Amino acid sequence: MRWISSLAAAAVALTASSAIAQTKIDFFFPVPVDGKLAKEMTRLTKLYNDSQKDVAVTGVYTGSYDETKLKAQAATAAGKPPAVVLMSANFVLDLKISGDIVSLEPQLKADGTTRTKFLDDFWPAVHANAIVDGELYAVPYQNSTPLLYYNKEHFKEAGLDPEKPPQTWAELVDAAKKLTKADRYGIALPEGYDYMGWIMEALSMSNGGRYFNEEYGGEVYYDTPSMLGAAQFVEDLVFKHKVMQQGVVEGGAVSSNFLAGKASMMLLSTGSLSFVRDSMKMPYGVAFVPRNVRNAVPIGGGSLVMFKGLSEEQKAAGWKFAKWLSSTENLGAWSRFTGYFSPRKSAYDTAEMKDFMAKNPDAKVALDQLPYAKPWFATYQTVAVRKALEDEMQAVLNGKKKAPQAVKDAQQAADALMKPYVEQTALKLP
Amino acid sequence: MVRKSTVIAGLMLVIVFFWSTPFLWTLVASFRPDNSGGIHMASLLPDFVPTWANFAEAFESGDFAVYYVNTAIVAFGILAIQIVTISLAGYAFARLDFPGRDFIFYVFLLQLMLVPPILIVPNLRTVVDLGLYGSLLGVMLPYFASAFGTFLMRQTFRQIPRDFEEAAFIDGAKWWQVLWHVLLPMAKPGLIAFALVSLMAHWNEFLWPLMVLNEPSKQTLTIGLASFALGTEGGKEWGLLAAGTLLVMFPLLALFAVFQRQFVNSFMFSGLKG
Repeated sequence: MRWISSLAAAAVALTASSAIAQTKIDFFFPVPVDGKLAKEMTRLTKLYNDSQKDVAVTGVYTGSYDETKLKAQAATAAGKPPAVVLMSANFVLDLKISGDIVSLEPQLKADGTTRTKFLDDFWPAVHANAIVDGELYAVPYQNSTPLLYYNKEHFKEAGLDPEKPPQTWAELVDAAKKLTKADRYGIALPEGYDYMGWIMEALSMSNGGRYFNEEYGGEVYYDTPSMLGAAQFVEDLVFKHKVMQQGVVEGGAVSSNFLAGKASMMLLSTGSLSFVRDSMKMPYGVAFVPRNVRNAVPIGGGSLVMFKGLSEEQKAAGWKFAKWLSSTENLGAWSRFTGYFSPRKSAYDTAEMKDFMAKNPDAKVALDQLPYAKPWFATYQTVAVRKALEDEMQAVLNGKKKAPQAVKDAQQAADALMKPYVEQTALKLP
Repeated sequence: MVRKSTVIAGLMLVIVFFWSTPFLWTLVASFRPDNSGGIHMASLLPDFVPTWANFAEAFESGDFAVYYVNTAIVAFGILAIQIVTISLAGYAFARLDFPGRDFIFYVFLLQLMLVPPILIVPNLRTVVDLGLYGSLLGVMLPYFASAFGTFLMRQTFRQIPRDFEEAAFIDGAKWWQVLWHVLLPMAKPGLIAFALVSLMAHWNEFLWPLMVLNEPSKQTLTIGLASFALGTEGGKEWGLLAAGTLLVMFPLLALFAVFQRQFVNSFMFSGLKG
């Protein structure tokens, strides 16, 4: 019965769509920050559908970034590719290598524009994760960087100037020592999967490193002085300076500890800014991620990509929708709603945004850090290669391994994972 | 001198307490007013004036009425069909003689060894080919046959002495009448045990419905819950999470409370008298 009725419904829908030539597309989106975002995204999709008649978008909430990737790949394999997917920006390279997503260059050409012109309004830091092999594969949508959050009340109490947050690793350790008490740690880092890798990228970059080869997906720099220094720094925070909790602390627990006053400082995403702003009872401040060699942070967040196997109409419709989603106005509104920063520069020139920045000076710090932002690591088998380092770092945090051995083992594991790709590319010689 | 039974009862209470901590914590946290993840968040003691705020927020974050209906359709729909298929298949493997019966049965059992995720793409392809992508029927379809259920029913039927059926056959009953009037009533404990396992599994299932369903009006409870539980970059709103989790498990909990006696009996008195 149900089957027959749904068949009938499908038949009706088919005839209806051919009558007014409406193109139906699916849009998959994960919500890595907050459930209210799912509602907001659904509202945006509806707004778009009501605003025009050519394209009908079905907005589909698809769990985490990992599950979104899984669903998008499964749907594509089954012949139902989603036209637009909001995907973790560092999956773009991997998805291009596996042939799951399509180049957006034909769409740019149809619009009579070029990649350079299109990306001109986007912050330079987000370009690298959108381009693969010289072609545009993604439109940056929501972005973040790590940020140092600190409790001003604790600073005062420990005799530190609450308006002068630590700028270097030395100052960070010094402050953390003064802030640590019997029931309180000076600093907390998110150390679960995904977050750990990103934080290690921030620390190794602040130590002068690069983490990965931005131009080639087969190289990571784990067994290097810059990464060793970062890993040793993390180990020392726990075991030498005793200013950080031993063992692996997940991101959710880090923010809970910070809000509860159990940790005086934390490194966390700018994406958490709205949440901290709404929930923190004590006065807090935000600052750049402290440096050892230079100021540098990785970009994080998500971009819009299009999957293979779409009809020409669907491709055009998906591109239209992606452009609408990433318009100056919409990116600004999404940024104010979520706490992510807008990848479009022009979003910050709007009156609403200027008003918002004046009211929320902490968001300004996140924006000021942008000139120091670098690409997010992306390699062949990104997730596995990242986990190779994360597993070793978690062993360090648990006191089971020393930093020098950890970075060596991480490098070995990562090289083994990337070997098939390296043999097909850089080591494939005539 | 402490009596042995008192000691055992005391030990049992300790174990019960440990086993129920996650649930107790969820219960306490869901009614805790401050959901900022404060210092008391980890406490099991309800040291506050209870509030419905977390539940109100959970309801606001998701369309729970729709999720409940969809989840009920999926979980009970699967069970209804399964009861038919596993009874018939179980009967065939237990009682009918046909060439290759045991071999087919073992091949059937091999399905239990498969890890469900490897079937996602092939199953999804079938669902798309049948035009069921995005429908609740598409979610239910792969579960209409159950290797575990068939195995359970075969074992249950084999434990029933043949005398009962033979008496019925002598009276001129057909095989389906024997199955319906004689075997199924006696297999009730097995069916109830299977129903419990099947309902729990499909009520709580996440990955497969996530793969098949698209439209918000077709989503199930677990996907709705995940939309506000999976945040990684934001902070964890424990109170909201706890309230959402309770909303998801409440119907099953109520069902179990109502039918508790039958469930327990089904496990205890599955033997036959006489």
